[in-house]
Amino acid sequence: MQKSPVNANLALAKLPILGLERIMIYSHVKSTIELQKNCKRRKIMSSTKPLEELKDAILNYDVDGAKKAAEKCLAANIDPAKALNEASNAMKKLGELFDCGEAFLPQVVVAGDAMKAASGILLKKLSTKPTKTGKVVIGTVEGDVHDVGKGIVSVMLDAAGFEVIDIGRDVPTKTFVEKVKELKPNIVGCSALLTVTRLRQRDIIDALKKEGLRDKVKILVGGGATTGVWAEEIGADAWGEDAPDAVRKAKQVLGLPE
Amino acid sequence: MECLTRMGDGTPVKMTKEQIKAEIEAGTKDAAHRAHVPELNSNEIEYLMEIVSDPSRIVSVVPGKEAVVTHDVGPLKVMADQSNSGVSIPCSREQAMCIYERAFASDTTELGHIDYSFKPVKPIITQEQSVLQNVNLITTIPVFYGAMPNLGLYYAPDGPFVEPIALIKEGKMSEAKVNMEKAAHQFVEDLEYITTRLYAVGLDGLNIDTTAAAGDADFWGTLMAVEKLKKSCPYLSIEMGMAGEFIFGFHTELEYDGTRLAGLFPHQQVKLAEKAGVDIFGPVVNTKPSKAFAWNVSRAVTMVKQCVKDSKIPIHVNMGMGVGGIPMYETPPIDAVTRANKAMVEIAGVDGL
Repeated sequence: MQKSPVNANLALAKLPILGLERIMIYSHVKSTIELQKNCKRRKIMSSTKPLEELKDAILNYDVDGAKKAAEKCLAANIDPAKALNEASNAMKKLGELFDCGEAFLPQVVVAGDAMKAASGILLKKLSTKPTKTGKVVIGTVEGDVHDVGKGIVSVMLDAAGFEVIDIGRDVPTKTFVEKVKELKPNIVGCSALLTVTRLRQRDIIDALKKEGLRDKVKILVGGGATTGVWAEEIGADAWGEDAPDAVRKAKQVLGLPE
Repeated sequence: MECLTRMGDGTPVKMTKEQIKAEIEAGTKDAAHRAHVPELNSNEIEYLMEIVSDPSRIVSVVPGKEAVVTHDVGPLKVMADQSNSGVSIPCSREQAMCIYERAFASDTTELGHIDYSFKPVKPIITQEQSVLQNVNLITTIPVFYGAMPNLGLYYAPDGPFVEPIALIKEGKMSEAKVNMEKAAHQFVEDLEYITTRLYAVGLDGLNIDTTAAAGDADFWGTLMAVEKLKKSCPYLSIEMGMAGEFIFGFHTELEYDGTRLAGLFPHQQVKLAEKAGVDIFGPVVNTKPSKAFAWNVSRAVTMVKQCVKDSKIPIHVNMGMGVGGIPMYETPPIDAVTRANKAMVEIAGVDGL
């Protein structure tokens, strides 16, 4: 039995019957039954409690409101770490709403700004400074001009606190390697929409190996033509099924809390 | 007893009937929750379970339930290589279209350009007219012209307008919106230019495929273009195929006939398509590769069933790699393909595939 590095839940067993290469053991895929419990409708709240006010401001894409709520938290002697955690939960919730078609890209951007504005105020009062979330170099692979999905992932990573360097679309493999050398990111995100271009994701991993850089960076692959099995096959560290999942996986591979 | 079925990425998996049923119930709940549509009823769930757990390699509809089968991506599935899900038969587009008519017994065929976007067709329109004219002389099957609105090609570096996601990232929301609207208007102009010229040489139908791939402005432009085309090409049949299950909101404020476009699901999309003058609507429900086939097909059937119910025009659901419950795999496994198609026809009640 092999364990997939991409998703530990997916245990694969080779069964030489029916000419099928491998048959998944269903009992190892418990997450399949999960319902979208988190995908509740967004309610506009008008709370007077500073922590809830902070969360509501972010979920209502209100930059000024988030700043005021952060100041109120400090005035009420609320632990800044607790307030930052609440703001982070609001961003996570927004990701779920985006996944359900109930929040849209511009709103994610403004909510990210609200989060940053509140964090700026709260971080000044934090006794222990948190480590930076991480640096991500992201691009659509060579031969592929589809960058809508990559753009969404880039925005959502940024909103989640990552430093994102978007190197565009139709990016040659050698440019990915050069950017890893130059910028020393924690993660390289490679997007491919087409089955014909996803092969470049493997090329990028091979090129990074050749340059001795593979172990210095985590590789996150995604895009319409990709799957967990593909990510595993090419030796990527993670696969993002959609934009919110890409953010989750980016945090996972760096060992950060979701 | 365990049945051999699939995951959404095509991986084979053995599941008991109880497990399959649980997946179907979870899938329909997810669709109902997201799209605000009713769940499948208990009879439909039982029947879907029978379809998924059928031990046969492939399944088919019962006699009398046969549906219309049309194809998108023009003749490219015959001519393109395997990486593009094609079979790479060296032949001309005219020959490939004859194969659709005479070998596949398809109900329609489609002419398309290798890029499969409308914008690049504009400078080579005379070539497309010429091929269409030849095809019309050697076939009797209805001939569509198909391509994608692909508004992305109207933004830099491929087009004259500023890339809106870059502007959104910089917080320049108004500027992003203006550029999206300009791109949509340019698409309307281009599509009318292309379609009227193809119509002049005998085009039967137009397939506007993967509509809204670039978000709400893409959908908005397509609806406006259809409205215009129904006036300039009154006998042209227009099929609108979608890109995803809901409309991505990049602009977020665009409306058609008083309805905001961002976030609309198939049963809501079809009402606007009808108003614009679309003759055939092709809903899309995305497959989640990490979920079971049973979950995906149940979810897709639930959303499409409501779309069929609310629609006054024929529904030809998109059934292919990564949509309609079919696994996300280059050559989708035939067991899953036939089961998903049967479920769409017999449970969702679609008119065509």
